[in-house]
Amino acid sequence: MHKDMAKSSFSLRDWLETTPIIVPVIAVILAFAFGALFILATGHNPIQAYVLFIRGAFGNTFNLMETITKSIPLTIAGLAFLFAYRCGVFNIGTEGQLLIGAIAAALVGFLIKLPPVIHQIVLILTGAVFGALYAGIAGWLKAYRGVNEILSTLMLNYPAIYLTHFLVVKVFKAPGVVPATPLINKSAELPVIIPDTRLHAGIFIVIGLIFLVDFILRKTVLGYEIRAVGFNPTAAAYSGISIRKNVIIAIMISGALAGIAGSVEVMGLHHRFFDQFSPGYGFDGISVSLVALLNPFATFFSALFFGAMRTGSTEMQIFLEIPRQLMTLYQGIILFFIAGQLIFITFIRKIIRKRKE
Amino acid sequence: MQNIFSEALLATTINLSTPIIIAVFAGLISERSGVINLALEGMMLAGACAAALGSYFTGNPYIGLMASIAIGMLMALAHAYATITWRGDQIISGLALIVASVGGTGFILQLIFKHGGNTPDVTTLPRIIIPFLQNIPVLGVLINKQTILVYFAYLLPVLMYLFLYKTPLGMRIRACGEDPRTADTLGINVYLTRYVAVLISGALAGLSGAYLSIVQLSKFQENMSAGRGWIAIAALILGKWRPWSVFLAALFFGFTDAIQLTMQVVFPDSKLPREIFLSLPYILTILVLAGFVGKAIGPAAGGKPYEKEQL
Repeated sequence: MHKDMAKSSFSLRDWLETTPIIVPVIAVILAFAFGALFILATGHNPIQAYVLFIRGAFGNTFNLMETITKSIPLTIAGLAFLFAYRCGVFNIGTEGQLLIGAIAAALVGFLIKLPPVIHQIVLILTGAVFGALYAGIAGWLKAYRGVNEILSTLMLNYPAIYLTHFLVVKVFKAPGVVPATPLINKSAELPVIIPDTRLHAGIFIVIGLIFLVDFILRKTVLGYEIRAVGFNPTAAAYSGISIRKNVIIAIMISGALAGIAGSVEVMGLHHRFFDQFSPGYGFDGISVSLVALLNPFATFFSALFFGAMRTGSTEMQIFLEIPRQLMTLYQGIILFFIAGQLIFITFIRKIIRKRKE
Repeated sequence: MQNIFSEALLATTINLSTPIIIAVFAGLISERSGVINLALEGMMLAGACAAALGSYFTGNPYIGLMASIAIGMLMALAHAYATITWRGDQIISGLALIVASVGGTGFILQLIFKHGGNTPDVTTLPRIIIPFLQNIPVLGVLINKQTILVYFAYLLPVLMYLFLYKTPLGMRIRACGEDPRTADTLGINVYLTRYVAVLISGALAGLSGAYLSIVQLSKFQENMSAGRGWIAIAALILGKWRPWSVFLAALFFGFTDAIQLTMQVVFPDSKLPREIFLSLPYILTILVLAGFVGKAIGPAAGGKPYEKEQL
């Protein structure tokens, strides 16, 4: 088993952490440069499209706040992926964990009556617990049955999608046309913090979680052990650190974060769970944390960028009819260049060397 | 209660296992050369889209087939360039290609047809009638009137076994997956060999996608690969990277999918929610892996980029 884990955690994770910040920046620039070709294919001027993109993402208070609002679940989902990855575990099931956390929070939100603050805390914890338990399945399977977690976490997304669909359409559907649960009680809502926008208090939870994740990873024994297992499982095992325990804990904390992303989205934005609740926030969390090079603080800025991609592309679609799926393509290109960063890093090094000569 | 186990179930099994079989061999050849190809799911999706568009614009499904091979190889080339030439992370590159294919196919669909969801109906691959098979019971029904892709899929284990174990190139591919350093010392061009393997992988993965759009259905739907590429990877692990075993594993997953589909017909939604059946293939895949793995050890050099020593 150790051999298997050593292999699956052979990744350039460590290398990612030491990657210069210029890499994701160039990857993004390259994606927008390549993407310009696709915009040309739609018969539009890429510069005009990008001006609209920026206007859509940051152009006025409402749009800017909308971008920040979208970055809330994206940051938390990014932290989720990051946390497991630091232990050498690929959790690509954040989408499913987010859905499970969200629906659990939505149910507790309308079924149970509690005073404010307590109700809010209970909802966040509900999301965390359900997300953690769902991710824990994959953690247990990896630790005790040697099941590759990339496969198990991905596979578990599908039952989560079907289960939540079933619950919201056939069991807890509120009266009305839209398949959605009833609204949660006011006591469980996170308030909007800037009037006339949708930006809600979830942003404070985001800030808290960033510091918490950074603290756990850098200042606690648990974080040290998790990073040791991620860095070199064989060496960690020799020094008495349990691989199994840390793999399970890391993936469960990861799942808890994904679940919180879901519950915060319910509490702050939608106040209910509905069918096709997540527009891929869980999946995007993977890209968010890779672009952030696995740094918890950078995750927020990376999430802002991905939020901007969503709001900005809406503007492009409305005014130029450029399909917003283009942004998903960009996301793929960005990830590709982060994976194959030597493609351009080598080139840059050559230029620098020539300059010196 | 209707009989679940019938001729129809076998026919459905063949229909559902074909794309998984082709995809599992796509994964096999790449991984045996030492390059993990997680992008199968994405290459299938892009292949399905290319096949449908090729068939839509020319009316000739075989052009669609060619298009699916082309797009699969193009994506494989990108994967190879990033991970072999530039020693990039194979897992992230694979995920990147999946994300790009989801975005790319959605974008193209929207661009051409001005609406998302799916393409209009396209011409499907013709079914081949073999005269002397027509009168044989069961076998005649199963083997006759299939498309070229089904015959190809069921020949693949033989072809792949002969290729990997009996030809020089096949042996070189396996050598690069087990011990690239030694292979290099013996004069094998590791980079080139891995490129060949990954490109074949892309061609196969594209083809398996074509089966979804121009045989199973007669159109492309967004995200129509629905995890089949991942199931193929599960079959690869279950079959321990050996041609015959991965074939059987793929067949097994096709069979469970067929049972799931048949059960949906037998038990209407009012009795048992269909979400249970829809989840079944994924849950079963995990259970099967949990039951069998532990002993699964892939090619020794899998996932590790190879760097030629500088003299």
